[in-house]
Amino acid sequence: MRSTTKGFGLAPAAILCSVLGLGPALGWAQQSGSDLPRLADGHPDLSGTWDNGSGIDFVRPQQVGESVCVVGCGPSAAPPPQAANRAPPPRPSRPEYRPEVAARVADLAARQVAEDPVLRCMAPGVPRIGPPDKIVQRVGEVVFLYDDVSGNFFRIVPTDGRPHPTDTEPSYLGDAVGHWEGDSLVVETRNFNAETWLTDDGAFHTQDLRVVERLRRTAETLEWNATVHDAAVLAAPWELAPRIAQRTELEIVEAPPCIDRSLDHMVDDSHHTNPR
Amino acid sequence: MAVKVFASLAAVGLLAIAGSAGAHHSVAGQFDMAKRTTITGTISKIDWINPHVYIHLDVPDEQGNVTTWRLESLPTAMLRKAGLTSAMLKGDGGKVTVDGLLARDGTESLAWLLKITYEDGHFYQLGGE
Repeated sequence: MRSTTKGFGLAPAAILCSVLGLGPALGWAQQSGSDLPRLADGHPDLSGTWDNGSGIDFVRPQQVGESVCVVGCGPSAAPPPQAANRAPPPRPSRPEYRPEVAARVADLAARQVAEDPVLRCMAPGVPRIGPPDKIVQRVGEVVFLYDDVSGNFFRIVPTDGRPHPTDTEPSYLGDAVGHWEGDSLVVETRNFNAETWLTDDGAFHTQDLRVVERLRRTAETLEWNATVHDAAVLAAPWELAPRIAQRTELEIVEAPPCIDRSLDHMVDDSHHTNPR
Repeated sequence: MAVKVFASLAAVGLLAIAGSAGAHHSVAGQFDMAKRTTITGTISKIDWINPHVYIHLDVPDEQGNVTTWRLESLPTAMLRKAGLTSAMLKGDGGKVTVDGLLARDGTESLAWLLKITYEDGHFYQLGGE
């Protein structure tokens, strides 16, 4: 929440301290402009670890003595505190494809277990990887860190006004450049390879994929929005349902190796619904 | 805490998660819900990997020949959320009894782990019915 009365009163002093390099020493960078923590450049500091539920809010472990039930524990389990404080999962949303590629999407969806890259531990791509699990920010640069079932991933987002590079290979997570619009960090990512899906059920894309993410924090939450542009295959830009992450002190960890041993034993393509 | 694994276990209670942000295959596509087994042995190894943790269970027959079963289980994030570690799964090296579902493709000594019970009676239920 912004505190405009307090903010306007403190802003000039904070700017002066920032110019003089006194901000951090006096703690002004944490208080100026609003009750948001801010860096010396005045932009909100998004740094922190952010729990977005990771898709496992439905897990309600129960413990009795030394015994633990993780799955199939019955309906009596109370939601974990983080889940109780977080918004419910967004309604499922899917990109709308151009008619000429609808058959390809349907074919890939029907063969998802055989075709989905992340089932083979490949990088999930953007926006499928979701909101960052941890953010490290300094003036002119924001770093997104991810603790994903496929592994740990990072994205470096310059915010110093530099353009997209022209000499990098297309990649799974693309090339990101950010800028600030008010207190929102806007990240535009391009130069993707075509090896990832936008979401499950055959949602392929081309190398022309462009994703715009908007991140905005309150003291305790981080809101993440993403819009997907790929005019060659999408009938319209796809705007994902917003995700709200909760600030947490629980640190991300080194991801265990992702080594699939299941798919060779699958006897059909059965899979279950996706809440996203 | 933040590994992304989307799934909807509520309806079936026995669906595995594999992959990120919505990727998913069903346990029923790999294991036979009607072929339940109960085996007793000692845990020789835990593979703390994604998308599924594996427990290796050494099971002796009446002649003393040992067969090592591979017991497939949940992703690490779900176990971690429940406070379970690889050391807790391995236990103290004593005998454990495992309830599981056999592989549909006929692979021997491969099962989906439903419940593991230790000699002192405490258990971890990792799959439901």
